[in-house]
Formats: sequence, structure tokens, C-alpha cells
Amino acid sequence: MTRGELSRSLQRAIGTLGRPSCRRPIPHPASRSKPSPSRCLSTTAARPEELQVNEVQEKFTAAAPIDFGRIPGNRRNVLAALRVVPASPSYFSAKPTFNDDYISLCALLRKVATLPTVSPAEAPKVAWKTIEQYRIMTNEPVKNQRYHKMLHILRRLNCVHPSLMPQEVLDAMQRYKKETQPGDIKPAPGVVDEMGRAKGVGRRKTSSAVAWIVEGEGEVLVNGKSLTEFFGRVHDRESAVWALKATQRLDKYNVWGRVSGGGVTGQAEALTLAVAKALMVHEPALKPALRRAGCITRDPRKVERKKAGHVKARKMPTWVKR
Amino acid sequence: MPPSSSLRGVTQLLRETVQPSFACRRLGEVQQTAYLSTSAPRFASVPKKKGLTAAPKKGTKTLNVKKGRKQSGGDTGKKPAVGERKAMRKAVVLSNNNALEVSSLKNLDNENVLDAEIAGKVYGIPDDAIDALRAVDAFKPKQGWKLFRRPAVVVRKEAMQLAQLIKEVESGSEGAKKTVRRIITGERMSGKSTLVLQGLLMAHLRNWVVINLPEAQDLVNAHTEYAPLQGSQPMQYTQDTYTANLLSQILKANKQIADLPVTKEHSLPQPLPPKATLRSLIDIGVATPESSWSVFAALWEELTQPGRPPIMFAIDGLAHIMRNSEYLSADVKPIHAFDLTIVRQFVDYLSGAKSLPNGGIIFAATSGSNSPTVDALNFSLQCAAARQFAPEKMPRWNPYTNLDMRVMEALKDVDTLPLKGLTKEEARALMEYYAESGMLRAKVDDGLVGERWALAGMGNIGELERTTVRMRV
Repeated sequence: MTRGELSRSLQRAIGTLGRPSCRRPIPHPASRSKPSPSRCLSTTAARPEELQVNEVQEKFTAAAPIDFGRIPGNRRNVLAALRVVPASPSYFSAKPTFNDDYISLCALLRKVATLPTVSPAEAPKVAWKTIEQYRIMTNEPVKNQRYHKMLHILRRLNCVHPSLMPQEVLDAMQRYKKETQPGDIKPAPGVVDEMGRAKGVGRRKTSSAVAWIVEGEGEVLVNGKSLTEFFGRVHDRESAVWALKATQRLDKYNVWGRVSGGGVTGQAEALTLAVAKALMVHEPALKPALRRAGCITRDPRKVERKKAGHVKARKMPTWVKR
Repeated sequence: MPPSSSLRGVTQLLRETVQPSFACRRLGEVQQTAYLSTSAPRFASVPKKKGLTAAPKKGTKTLNVKKGRKQSGGDTGKKPAVGERKAMRKAVVLSNNNALEVSSLKNLDNENVLDAEIAGKVYGIPDDAIDALRAVDAFKPKQGWKLFRRPAVVVRKEAMQLAQLIKEVESGSEGAKKTVRRIITGERMSGKSTLVLQGLLMAHLRNWVVINLPEAQDLVNAHTEYAPLQGSQPMQYTQDTYTANLLSQILKANKQIADLPVTKEHSLPQPLPPKATLRSLIDIGVATPESSWSVFAALWEELTQPGRPPIMFAIDGLAHIMRNSEYLSADVKPIHAFDLTIVRQFVDYLSGAKSLPNGGIIFAATSGSNSPTVDALNFSLQCAAARQFAPEKMPRWNPYTNLDMRVMEALKDVDTLPLKGLTKEEARALMEYYAESGMLRAKVDDGLVGERWALAGMGNIGELERTTVRMRV
């Protein structure tokens, strides 16, 4: 035990001297004489909730309270007679912080278990810390499975109806949330600038597109070329202006797009997203229509990487007998 | 013959057969005989059956290329005859019996063709003009004529500019008529060839002489015979068959000049009959291709006499004649296209080196899909566009490109006629025509017109046709 820890424990022990350390009823001295299974427990001040639960527990015998009046000698001798007690009952386990966290969460869940809940889909979206982040925070080798058990409790706590959510649950959950939560970073809302332009950015595969939209009569320029010059396929032309076509706005706006990277199809579909986002700046009410047209969600698919031992991403070499 | 003597005779015969070399030497003649033996073929190594390697192992899949099947069964279909496929490819179909007759379609004619009120509407081509245009190969096989009951054109803004030019030429006073030179530029499928056709049509309806070189590539790709022109310095080359064909096309398309008399003396290989007409002059060139170039030159001289009609001289695919041709000279050097007599004739007028005394239009169209890259032409066109529209932004010559100075000189001050997309009104007129022909089954309203106009790259007429008529879903 390092010197600093010893002194801290001592201070804590002294601090507990003045108040009742344990609310558990101390068994009657008469019963002490009974030959019964007993266990020793080091008592501490912490975990009042845990100890309140009326469970049938093994009987144990607490150490007799220290009567300082009887101890002879001066102050130094008093300290010599004190027992140093760790703050946490999990102190001698391998992962004391984790165990404490887990036990306290269990206790909290028992406490709020009767509150009405919402379905997990309706519960507020929370990004919990990853196990790596938790390990770094606690500096303990927490196992994956254990951590997932704890996350399970946390998710259950998160499902408590938001209008009835107790503050202590919120405070307790805060410890396990990531620094930034989904929805924390909100992009600045797009604006139509003084020349009537709205900008949108879209991506697909390895292409990225920027589109500026002004009110007009359906003129489209992509990288300075007309739509027909830039996209040879009729399908690609329709994809590029699909956001406008699906909302019957093709003859009401002029589009000026810049595309780079990727192939022709990727560029066309990157433009779809860019045009849709720029259109939403002009007419935010079109968002549901655009979502139905499939112009809101970015398609996250990309080329799968090649793996070692494979011919391509998944293809295995031909089987050869010898 | 007794048996012994016959046997002896056989032995003798055999001995002679066995020792052919002696017999040959003795007789002094070559005797081609062979042993009576079957051992050689029997002991010869058996040739392996072709393509038969070790049988595939049991359970392995082999590639079935169906080679044997094809050989055994064979193709039972009838093979197309020689030239049939090319004829199919080059066929120009101008009508579609399944398309509806458009009752409201009016024809262009001599009077209304230059009117301002035909702008932005669809007009039909009269039958005699169709014959004339077909004679000069103005209709191209890939254009959409075969989709409709009869040929019709939309009179777009650029066509009205052309009509204005025709008016200018016609209004010139006698002896000071204008020669207008224009190069049509524009993106792919924007209607350049069709505008050439409209120009020829307008000129024909105004009783001009129309001369058309339908495909410049045919002049320079060495598919037609050529011969040096005697007495030319530097050497020029005539293309006799092509010229004879061109003369016959001119005669078919321009009936009004056939009966004009020949007014001047021409030095022709064959004498002209007395009181000759231009028809008899042209007939000489058609009948004897060797003399076709001198006939063409004589015809041109006749056409430029005072009182004769103006000339519309057009070419499509200009870039091909702005570089070396595929022909080789006697010392195996490539011949520049300008050294071919027909091309020279055209370029002289296009460059403004010569002018037409009776006025006329020299009309050249670039091609979007079949054109070689000619830096000199591209640069000249950029300069011409800048001269017309943005004189402060003249392009600079890139010293790292190889510019053909003959081309630069020829295109020094020629103007361009840039072809943009249709306006929405023109597109609407065209789509209504499509709908009335039964080829577009939709209600033509502002929404549809605007949408198709935008999808066609701001009214590119070819793309508009492609997305509304050809690609019906």
C-alpha cells in the first residue's frame, strides 16, 4: 500500500468516527453465542441503498465498536489502534471500480424498476462509451461480456419514460455516455444567399458533388457542360436531377453543379443528393417528398476492401488438388 | 497368249517397275509410278484426332464452348446477299405508315419560306423538294424521318437567321450580290445536319441551285478513285467517279437549270452539240467520268454567268477536309485535302478567295460524332465565335499545338452560326407534332415540355427526340 493511500484511508476512517457507520441492526449479543454460520465483513459508510434491501442475507458478525474512551494513552496511540478500512467493499476484487459501478447500477435499476417505460426504439438515442473508452476511464481490464451486461442495464434505465425520469438516473447514466451524443452537432441551416442561390453537397461511392440552385427555368450545367453533354446515359441524366423531377420542380430551378471523383453513375447520384439538399434550403417542406423519392439518405456502400488470402474482397483462390 | 509368255511379260513389267530409275534413264522420260504396297499407311503414325486431349476427370466441370455443336448443326438461316447489309444501313426511310397523318401540318412553299410568321412552328416538306433533297443525299439514315408519316421540320430561330441570309442574298442588286459564308457549330445532336437540310430546302424552294457534298469523309478517305489534274501547279487531283455522281445529283436536284443554254465555249474532251443545254453538258460528265471535272468546271462557269440563279453550296462534316487526305501522291506523300479539286472549289469560296457573282451561300457543318480533331479548325472556330460575340476575349494560339497554316489561312475570317438548343416554344410545337403523329402518348402541357426540355440538356433537339419519341417506356 502506498503512503498516500494509507493516509487517505486513515483520514476516511477518522471521518467516520463521529457518525453511525452502519444502519444494519446489530444482532443481539445473546444470539452471538449461538453456533451459526457467520461471515466477517468489513463495514464502511458507503452503499446505503444497497444495504436497505430486505433480503435474506447470511448472518455476519460485525466487529465490536471501538470505545476510544477506554483506549489508554495519547492521540498517537489511538491512531495505532485504528483499523484501516478500504472505501469500497470491492476493494480486494480484481476490478473494484467496475464492480462498484455494476452494483450501483443494479441497485438503481431495482429502485426505478416499477416506473413506466417506453419501447427502446422510442427511448432517447444515446451513444454509450465503447469498452475501450471505459477501460481507459477505469484503468481496469474489464471483460467484454461483463461490460455488455452493464450496458444492458443502462439501456433498460434509458427506457424509463422520459417524463418520469428521475434526476439521479440521469446523473448516473451520464458517467457512461460518450462525450458527444448523436444530434449534438447540428449543421448550420442552409441559407439562400443574397443572389438567390442555395448550396447543397452530396456524395456517393467516391464521387462528391456540390450543387447551387437558383430559381429559373430548368437550365442545368454540370462542370460547365450541359446535362446531355456531361452524362451520356439518359438514366444518369434523370438521376442527376431526380430531386427536381420527383417534386415537379424541374422547370422552376436552374442548377449549377460541380462534380469530382468516381465514375459517371456515382457522379450522377452524388448530384442527386446535392440537388436535393439545395432544394430543401429553398423549400424545407419538401423533405418528406424527397425522402420518399430517396434523395435524402446517403448510400453508404463503398467498394469492399481486398483481403489477404483472397483473390478479391471475398473470392477465394481456386482449389487445386496438389 | 500362252501362260508362260504372259508370265514372262509380267516379270518384265515388274522388273521395270521395281527399277524405275534405270528405266527412266534408259528411256529418257519421267515415269510416275508407285509401289504396290499398303504398309506405309498402316505403319504411319496415327494422327491424333484434333482437339481431343485427355478426357476430363470425373466430377470436374469443363467449359462448354459449343464448338462442335455449331459445326454439326450449322447455321440454317439465310445469309444476307452481298451489299444487302450496307444497303440496309444506308437506306433512307422517309415515311412511316403507322404514324398518324397530321392534319394541321402545312407545307413550306416558295412564298412562305422566308416569312417571319413561320418561326417556331413545324412545317412539312413538299414532295418535289423531298425528291430534290433525296437526290442530293441531304437526308441522313440515322435521322428520325422514318418515325413520321412524312418529313417535316421545325423552323427554329437559327433557321430564321438562315432565311434572313437568303433574303439578303436575293435582295442584292444585280452584279453586287453577296456571297454568305457560314460554318454551323453546335454540340452533338443539336441539329446541324438538319439545318443544312433546311438551308438546302429553302434554297431549293427559292429556285436556287443546290449543290451538296453530303459527307466530307467520303471525299478524303480514299474510297473513290483519284487522278492528277494535268497542267495544275501545284499538283491537284480530280475524283472522277465522285464528280460524275455529283453532276448527276446536281441535274436531278436542279431541274430548273437543265434547259438553260450553254453560253460560252468550253474546252471539253467531247464536243458539245449545237444549241447545247446544261443538261447535255452535264450528261457528258455523267457518261464519261474522265471528263467529269472539266464538265464540272464548265458548269460552274455557266452558273456564274449573269442572270443565273444563286448557288447554295453545302458540306457536312467539315473537319475531314481540313487536314491531309488518305490519298498518296506519286512520291508517296499524303495529299492535303485542299489539293483535291472538289474540296479546293469549296474551300476557295468558303475562305472568301472567290465569290459568287450571282450571290449564294457557302454552308459548312461540323460534326459532333464523326469528326477528327483538327486543332487549326477548332482554333479558327473559337476565334470566329469570339469575333462575333466577345471581341475582347480573343483566344490565344497555343504554340504547342500543330496548326495547319493552310487551314488557318482558309478560315481566317469565316463566320459561324452557333446552334443552341430549342426554345421552350419551339420544343412545345415539336412535341405537339409528335403527339399529333401518335408517337408521343402524353398530354403536352407546360410541365411535360419543361421537364423534357431540361432533360434534353436545354432543348437539344436530338436528345429531345430521343427521350420523347425513340425511348418510349
